Amino acid sequence: MNLPVAVALFRLGLVVYLAGAAAALLAWRRPRAARLAAFGAPVLGGLVQLAASAAALSRASAAVWTLPWGTALFPWTVRLDPLSSYFNLALAFLTVAVSLYSLDYLRDMEENWNLGALGFFYNLLLLSLTLVFTAANAFFFLIAWEVMALAAFCLVAFEHQKEEARSAGVLFLIMSHAGTGMLLAAFLMLATAAGNLNFASFHRLASRLSPVEQGVVFLLFFLGFGVKAGVVPLHIWLPDAHPVAPSNISALMSGIVIKTGIYGMARVFFDFYGAPPLWAGTLVLAAGVVTALVGVLYALMEHDLKRLLAYHSIENIGIILIGFGAALLFRALGHANLAALALVAGLYHTLNHAMFKGLLFLGAGSVLHSTGTRNMEQMGGLIRRMPATALFFLIGAVAISGLPPLNGFVSEWLTYQALLAGFGTTESLTRLVFPIAGSLLALTAALAAACFVKAFAIPFLALPRSDAARSAEEAPLAMQAAMGILAAACIALGLGASWFVKVFDPITEQALGIRISASLQAGRGFALSAGAPHSGTVSTAGIALFLVSLGAAAAYLVSRFARSQRRSTGPVWDCGLPGLTAENEYTATAFSKPLRMIFSVLYRPRREIQAEYEVSPYYPKAIRFESEIEPTFEKHVYGPLKDWILGVAKRMRAIQAGSVHAYLAYIFVTLILLLLFEVRG
Amino acid sequence: MHTFQDPQFGDKVVTLMAALVLVLQIAMAGQGWIVTNIRIFAAQSLLLAAMAGTIAWFNHATHLYIAAALTLLVKVILVPILLERLVERIDIRREIEPIVNVPLSVLISGGLTLVGYIIAESFQRPQGAGPAALGHNALAVAISLFLIGFFMTINRRKALTQVLALLCLENGLFLAAISLTYGMPLIVELGVLFDVLVAVLVLGILVYRIRETFESMDVSRLRRLRG
Repeated sequence: MNLPVAVALFRLGLVVYLAGAAAALLAWRRPRAARLAAFGAPVLGGLVQLAASAAALSRASAAVWTLPWGTALFPWTVRLDPLSSYFNLALAFLTVAVSLYSLDYLRDMEENWNLGALGFFYNLLLLSLTLVFTAANAFFFLIAWEVMALAAFCLVAFEHQKEEARSAGVLFLIMSHAGTGMLLAAFLMLATAAGNLNFASFHRLASRLSPVEQGVVFLLFFLGFGVKAGVVPLHIWLPDAHPVAPSNISALMSGIVIKTGIYGMARVFFDFYGAPPLWAGTLVLAAGVVTALVGVLYALMEHDLKRLLAYHSIENIGIILIGFGAALLFRALGHANLAALALVAGLYHTLNHAMFKGLLFLGAGSVLHSTGTRNMEQMGGLIRRMPATALFFLIGAVAISGLPPLNGFVSEWLTYQALLAGFGTTESLTRLVFPIAGSLLALTAALAAACFVKAFAIPFLALPRSDAARSAEEAPLAMQAAMGILAAACIALGLGASWFVKVFDPITEQALGIRISASLQAGRGFALSAGAPHSGTVSTAGIALFLVSLGAAAAYLVSRFARSQRRSTGPVWDCGLPGLTAENEYTATAFSKPLRMIFSVLYRPRREIQAEYEVSPYYPKAIRFESEIEPTFEKHVYGPLKDWILGVAKRMRAIQAGSVHAYLAYIFVTLILLLLFEVRG
Repeated sequence: MHTFQDPQFGDKVVTLMAALVLVLQIAMAGQGWIVTNIRIFAAQSLLLAAMAGTIAWFNHATHLYIAAALTLLVKVILVPILLERLVERIDIRREIEPIVNVPLSVLISGGLTLVGYIIAESFQRPQGAGPAALGHNALAVAISLFLIGFFMTINRRKALTQVLALLCLENGLFLAAISLTYGMPLIVELGVLFDVLVAVLVLGILVYRIRETFESMDVSRLRRLRG
């Protein structure tokens, strides 16, 4: 049998994940063995999958393989086409890093946690994620999708002793099921038109439907996948669910699980649709802008390090959607080159976000591991105790803030270029969408940078604010190595951007019929150009070289001319209030106050100050400060929705008689009516 | 001897038997005694076994003999014995207390037979192959059996009699299978029969438990479980 290399490797990778899951169950009562087997196996499995997706990406045609079980009507077929392989690549890379990290991260948890269960669900999640990205028909896709949701639920609610984990898990499950329901309806509509469930026969199919059906299918897919991706206002489960999971799981959830929604959208928007209607692109673009902005605004107000990162995931999903939305618009307007550019920007950002968000969550996990708290206000000074973690976290923070020369910058720059070029593509009013989206994206990026100044500075700089922070210890070696791998990827994807864009050629060729990597390369491959007329050119490698030489020059000057390099320590100016401690340092709350005031329309902040004093209010003995913001979406969108559903449910109770006979009668009457309907109709 | 080889004649015999099966079903719907009900079920199953045998004979479908023998063993002998023992063991009142009274039950059963024929009508193929010709009447009866069986599960209060109704419903499926396709593959047949046996055992235990707990077999009392 002449099996393509990609398929052989892919199969091997699946087997390794399965073996990991089985080993985790077998080692149920031996935490050490469970940890080593269940998290050692996916390191290998991830490497194999990495090779598989690389092999598949280098192939000309998609490799197809049918699993031996499944029935004739519902075959379990996987297809390693460029888009699938690209997402599988991101998954595999993150898997290697996160699994490596888990080996050390979970060492201390052997006493408290059931690592057999954790390892089983972890491997199951990896397996189902791989299949979600590669399934070749709707039936198999939905099975993998649901297994993924269930495995993710078990991981989110893993610390089920905690109330917040349970409620976050339930919210996740409810939202996820609502989303799957919409996907099911959309797939069924497509399947009715195609006559079968194969993705191959859905290719360009949606555009042949009637305009109304097209719109309904598009909306169902967008909402269904939007729930998983965390598109505002369907995002409310995300900031609850991601932080309560163990940190290694959070990295996987934020890094790649939400990307299944993005994968689904990419598949639908650029494979199932030929040229979607203009309003669809505008809708996606607008949703992207709102998502990015709302995500970063709520992130700014968070002092829980992991919740902050979770809100940033929402923001980045927004940025990816801006790319996708622009691509859809360009396609509707007939500019294939620009559509490809915007698509590349969105997909590039997807991979980048997986890398830096994985890195940041692993960094947050290290901090949590060593200080025992997620509250930033209790950290501080960690850069001295955990220098390696601090360095990697900083790299992640720079990348996510979109600063050159790292990867976040490249993909955001490509997005800007696409949006800037968009203004000239049409004379209609639609063109106004592009500059508006561009400026709001710029606002988002600036706010994200501000947020990461906070997220890095408050935990890592200044003096420790609590005993936990004072006694923090550096993360063990495997955890450092895992963060190092991801940090290296962030740098490589930034500096090597003009070479890496070749990866997108087969994807854009499949989706839009053109390859654009050649036009993106400039300056003998050392610079990246947007490929459009009057577009910008940037060389991340050049910027890096410049920064390094600047740093070297500064270091040389300092060492050459600075007379004294002695460090002197002295008291801080205390405004005449003696006895200030490290707890009086600048806090995250204080840092974000100006923004809280500026955007008070959204936040509706509420604060309470109580001061105790003896002589004069200028000399307080103690001050209690409380500040909170209103959860706008929960209160104004989901509150009324919940009331409505409960109201309907109450009325539905009448038919729930609790009598077996009544239920049988319902079934019976329905059966007869359906039979007669089928016969007569 | 020639008559006994003619499929046309076989068709008539089968149709006659199907009609008898239907009559038994309606009789069961209108019958008030549990033990009689069980015996009617045994008789019905015997007829079905005979039908399977007849179809096998006239259409040379040898594997149907096995299905017939198994039906005879399980539904005519084993299940009725198990059920009668259960009736004795739990020492219940021997009457079925239907929700809808007897005349109305029979009337509804008649109506359901009509529905069965209407539905079967749509399956009738244009003049052609033998099985379709054989199928039509038997299929209509099978659907009617199924519907009446279903109706009986609704119409009866006690778990035991509901089990019986479920078995009748299953008989309808069996009839559909043997009359349309000369039986399902043997392995499926075996599975179904085994299922029936297990279902009777499990439900027997369940019925016993329900009675222990609620001092009655009346499943209407399960209503109390509602929150």
